[in-house]
Amino acid sequence: MRDFPPPFSAFTEDATHRPDARSPLRLLWWMVRQQGDLMLAASAFSVLWMLPTALTPWVFGRAVDEGIVAGDASRTLAWTGVLLLVTFLGAGSGVFYHTVVVRSWLVALYGTTMLVGQKTVQLGHVLTRRSPTGEVLSVSGSDGDQFGGFMEIVSRAVGNLVAYLVVAVIVLQISPPLGLVVLLVAPLLVLTSTPLLRPMGRAQTRERSRDSELTSMATDIVAGLRILRGIGGERIFGNNYARQSQSVRVAGVRAGGWAALVEAVGVLFSGLFIVALMWLGVREVQEGRLSVGELITFLGYALFLVQPIRVFFEFAQKVTRALVSARKAVAVLGQPEPWPPASYRSVPERAELYDARSGLLVRPGLLTMVVSGDPEESAALADRLGRYLPGGVDPAPLDGGDDLSGRAARKARRAAEQQRRDLLERDSARAEEPWGVLLGGVDLRDLPIEQVRRTILVSDTGAYVFGGTLQEALDPHGRLSRQQAEEAMHAASAEDVYDVLPGGWQGVLDERGRGLSGGQRQRLVLARAVAADPEVLVLVEPTSAVDAHTEARIAERLPRARQGRTTVVMTASPLLLHHADEVAFVSEGRVAAVGTHDDLVARCPSYRRVVLRGEQDEGATPARAHGIRTTTPHDSAEREGRRTP
Amino acid sequence: MTTVDQMDGPPVTGGVLGDSADTWRDPGTREPAVPATLDVPTGLGWRQRNRALWQRHHVRRRRAQEHLASSQNPERGLPVAPPRTVVTYVRDLLGRRKGLMTLVILANALAAVTGLAVPLLLGDLVDVAVDTEGQVPQDTLTRFVVLVTLVLVAQAVTTYLAKWLAARLGHGVLAEAREHVIRAVLRLPLGKVESASTGDLVTRVTRDVGAMSQSVRWALPEFVIGTVTVVLTIVAMLFNSWVLAVPTLVMVALSVFQVRAYLRDAPAAYLTEGATYSRINTTLTETVEGARTVEAFGLQRERRRVSDEDIAVSSQAERYGLTLRNVLFLVMDMAFSLPRVITLGVGAVGYVQGWVSLGQLTTAMLYIETFYGPFDRLVGTIDELQVGVASTTRLLGIAEVPPDRTPGEERPQGRRLVGRELRYAYREGQDVLHGIDLDLRTGERLAVVGPSGSGKSTLGRLLSGIHAPRSGSAQVGGVELTDLPLDVLRTEVALVTQEHHVFRGSVRDNVVLARDGSSDDAVVTALQTVDAWGWVSQLPDGLDTRLGSGNQPLTPAQAQQIALARLILADPHTLVLDEATSLIDPHTARHLEGSMSSLLTGRTVVAIAHRLHTAHDADRIAVVQDGRIIELGSHDELMDAGGEYAALWRAWTS
Repeated sequence: MRDFPPPFSAFTEDATHRPDARSPLRLLWWMVRQQGDLMLAASAFSVLWMLPTALTPWVFGRAVDEGIVAGDASRTLAWTGVLLLVTFLGAGSGVFYHTVVVRSWLVALYGTTMLVGQKTVQLGHVLTRRSPTGEVLSVSGSDGDQFGGFMEIVSRAVGNLVAYLVVAVIVLQISPPLGLVVLLVAPLLVLTSTPLLRPMGRAQTRERSRDSELTSMATDIVAGLRILRGIGGERIFGNNYARQSQSVRVAGVRAGGWAALVEAVGVLFSGLFIVALMWLGVREVQEGRLSVGELITFLGYALFLVQPIRVFFEFAQKVTRALVSARKAVAVLGQPEPWPPASYRSVPERAELYDARSGLLVRPGLLTMVVSGDPEESAALADRLGRYLPGGVDPAPLDGGDDLSGRAARKARRAAEQQRRDLLERDSARAEEPWGVLLGGVDLRDLPIEQVRRTILVSDTGAYVFGGTLQEALDPHGRLSRQQAEEAMHAASAEDVYDVLPGGWQGVLDERGRGLSGGQRQRLVLARAVAADPEVLVLVEPTSAVDAHTEARIAERLPRARQGRTTVVMTASPLLLHHADEVAFVSEGRVAAVGTHDDLVARCPSYRRVVLRGEQDEGATPARAHGIRTTTPHDSAEREGRRTP
Repeated sequence: MTTVDQMDGPPVTGGVLGDSADTWRDPGTREPAVPATLDVPTGLGWRQRNRALWQRHHVRRRRAQEHLASSQNPERGLPVAPPRTVVTYVRDLLGRRKGLMTLVILANALAAVTGLAVPLLLGDLVDVAVDTEGQVPQDTLTRFVVLVTLVLVAQAVTTYLAKWLAARLGHGVLAEAREHVIRAVLRLPLGKVESASTGDLVTRVTRDVGAMSQSVRWALPEFVIGTVTVVLTIVAMLFNSWVLAVPTLVMVALSVFQVRAYLRDAPAAYLTEGATYSRINTTLTETVEGARTVEAFGLQRERRRVSDEDIAVSSQAERYGLTLRNVLFLVMDMAFSLPRVITLGVGAVGYVQGWVSLGQLTTAMLYIETFYGPFDRLVGTIDELQVGVASTTRLLGIAEVPPDRTPGEERPQGRRLVGRELRYAYREGQDVLHGIDLDLRTGERLAVVGPSGSGKSTLGRLLSGIHAPRSGSAQVGGVELTDLPLDVLRTEVALVTQEHHVFRGSVRDNVVLARDGSSDDAVVTALQTVDAWGWVSQLPDGLDTRLGSGNQPLTPAQAQQIALARLILADPHTLVLDEATSLIDPHTARHLEGSMSSLLTGRTVVAIAHRLHTAHDADRIAVVQDGRIIELGSHDELMDAGGEYAALWRAWTS
């Protein structure tokens, strides 16, 4: 029988599972099929587990009539025996029922998480530009939970349905008119309390939304705590929080009031049902159409039947919710890769890299640095060199109709779907046309994306540090020797990262490398890129958060570490530029000049403006007026501005 | 969120990684996430499999307990209050609501009593039916119907009151408790806030407040209802017929042993489960946020492996909980369903012997069927309450951080900021500053440069009064910085870390932080000074526009301008700017030139500089290395001296 965690493996070449993400219903059906045996077993056990509760009133009634009132001890014993049997069966099956239901729930939950994770690594940067991060994550967490809940309610509903049918047969056999009353009034009772459920639901929604705003406020206070403790504002934000807290309280009490009303009405209605049944039953007994034992049976069922009906309502609700969740899951799991198929082509080991749009030619085995007046321009150039789709698009929501209902929800949903389709089309159109960057004369489009990634490594300013040990952060594939690792740390001048972590290589980094300073994180990222030792390494502003002393060290060590390999560095720092084999100055999107740093400083005034502050004409510096720079330095524009009084 | 390089740490030595050889692990020798002892063995007989299951269960219990122990005493982060504090605190909270508390218990008791009356009446009716051999007199029937209806109405009304009052009590207590927690957070010592990771605190104000709230809102009222109902059901059973109550009471008493064992283990199990889910979520968050890095480095397989491992660990935690519940359910199912068989047998004998009536038997059987619910709920709520108490200990722990300063009465005479013989250690015995002397001239710009780890950020924090020096003194106008009350300190010197956090609140809230109660005119002037009034006045609601995530979005430059406007309003005469923590992207920086210079005009500035041109523009430059100032002077003086700074400068400009 299927057990958790499920061995799902999807969205790769050698995938063993192919989730059917063509539509929400198909996805749900696919998930059910993944655990068909579990669901059958769960339904069967659920029936067994319900049986004692469904049969007890009847068995008790028979025992009273045939045994106790009739004074027949052997009949009493026989019926007690039946009750014992049923009871054992029920109590014994509880454990199995619980086990399979939990399995079934977790197979769905863990399975969803696995699929989302696997889809994410398949799509890479393409996913995050198409879909909001938070929504993708909630598919794994809360939508996965909905699928688990769906699996559970299906088996529970089967158990309750069978129990209801068994009871129906029993009561109709004892007394058709009373039986009909019991079978029809029970659903009616549940129905009559539904009008109250709507305002209760609304009140609970209001409470939840105010509560989540409150949580956001608390998180916000903590996130800005340094500022609040540093320059004040504790009272303002403390009071804002208290105000929201009180408004949550008010909403909570109101929701609590509705819940209390629903419960009280439920008590009243099912009680009145019992009274009616009591009255009718006694009348039947008076007429001699019903025995005392049978009356007892009826009274018992009056208490019992409300339960299956509630379960049916819950079933309807959970199926609806599971479909909404499936819609969101499909929006993530159904996204195709944009890359056109291409077969592996051998590219000479030391091939030159050429970007047609800017005219940048990166010569193999050299350290090329690219200087641009506009940092966004150099970031875009790095993206092109590495075949990353351009940024700056708005992700489309997965569903869009969450807080709305009816027509508005459908409209929002359609809009989100349209937006998503547009993004998909735009991505694949861009990926399928000639890319405009040639590696050894071959356009990157004509190489498989894996080959491009293996050959050209772009380490940009957004490079991410994953939580884990320092060793894993530097060497995620586990391919390095200790000496190589030490050399990479040395090249990036990141030895202090090793020193601040208790436990050295096994020292644990928090997620996102939180706990390291910006500079330490940046140098660790650089060390990781150097350690990966790709044929072509493209670094974007690798030292923007590093102090001048350390930057000078990196500038010396990096060329040695990359000796004989092709390296491109987007920077405007003279400390680094000194060590470049070749510097390309990009202006207005085109390469304007190429040469060594000294060369360009000597003959290219606009380069000088971007890179140097021109100490030659001291005194005329309007530095005083501008005050001290507290910003990161690579803002060439900033420097440009300095020279124009 | 920006991190400060909180530990300048031990000075970097040479380029050799200290104990690298000892801590490097051969990549092939990774420990599995789930120890092999937890694998399910195959090909065993039933008996051996059963034994193996219990062995695994014990291993899982140990893992859960280890998790509980380590989560209650985190190595890093804030303290955890002892459970006794929680009891005292809750007693105080409830003590202030004695009247409401009494009403809640009273209403619940009434609801339970009326609920228990119905089966008794039904039993009586059965007796009448038996006695009259089915010919129940019409007026007796009418009396029963009226009586039961009345009882039902009373039950409905008291149920409503009980639930509603419990909600009022719960929400009142909860609101007060969470506000108390946030006030404690807002009182945390400056030094602690600056150096602690925010992760722990975020978890506390989100997950722990959530757990406490679940506990107070749901578990506490249910606990009251459960206890009252269980006790009264037992009383009612005994009242109906003590003979028929005995089977139930004996079985339930027997099950209590198992229930207690379950309650002992359950909190660790559920906390562990919860932690494994946040682990899964964290890993997936990293994978999604770092999707591009995953792609760039070809980490697909590795990320899938980490995720699979997280799920494997989580599965083990779930299996532990599953077994715990299975044992509990087995015992409770038996304990609560067998009595109906025994009671039927005993009742049958009793009826023949004449000790009990059929009505009593009917009532007893109905009670048995209704007893399971409240008892089960009671067990469930005790569980939840324990988790809530654990969370509350962590929340109240925040309030137990001792203050790091006791403000004195003295006020500064003048604005001169002086550091003498400053020493500081983050870890005992490892000074990062070794006796620094620094005299700031009023109105000067001092740049502090030096390699990472040299101690320059620490120096900045001592000079802005965030930490007290281990020895030596940092004084403004003759008074120790850490002897000043915070609101006075803020008008003297401020540390600018360039984090641009925009709070959820109006533009006004975001600016007046520093001077609570400032007039709108002052706010507008501050915004004008940093060139921000232009765009602020264009916002839909002007100063009242709501900012922060989910509200009006700001560009990084606008966010930074808001931060600068706060400082204009705070108006300290000295600013310590820490460039080390500056994460503004180059693109943003250009927009801020003017705003920044308006802020700095007329103030004394200490700039912890990464950039040589920052240093160049300063009046004086201090070069810090290994916790000492090795050079101090103007750019020209240092260039003439031909030391460290001069060498660096030449590398930069040549």
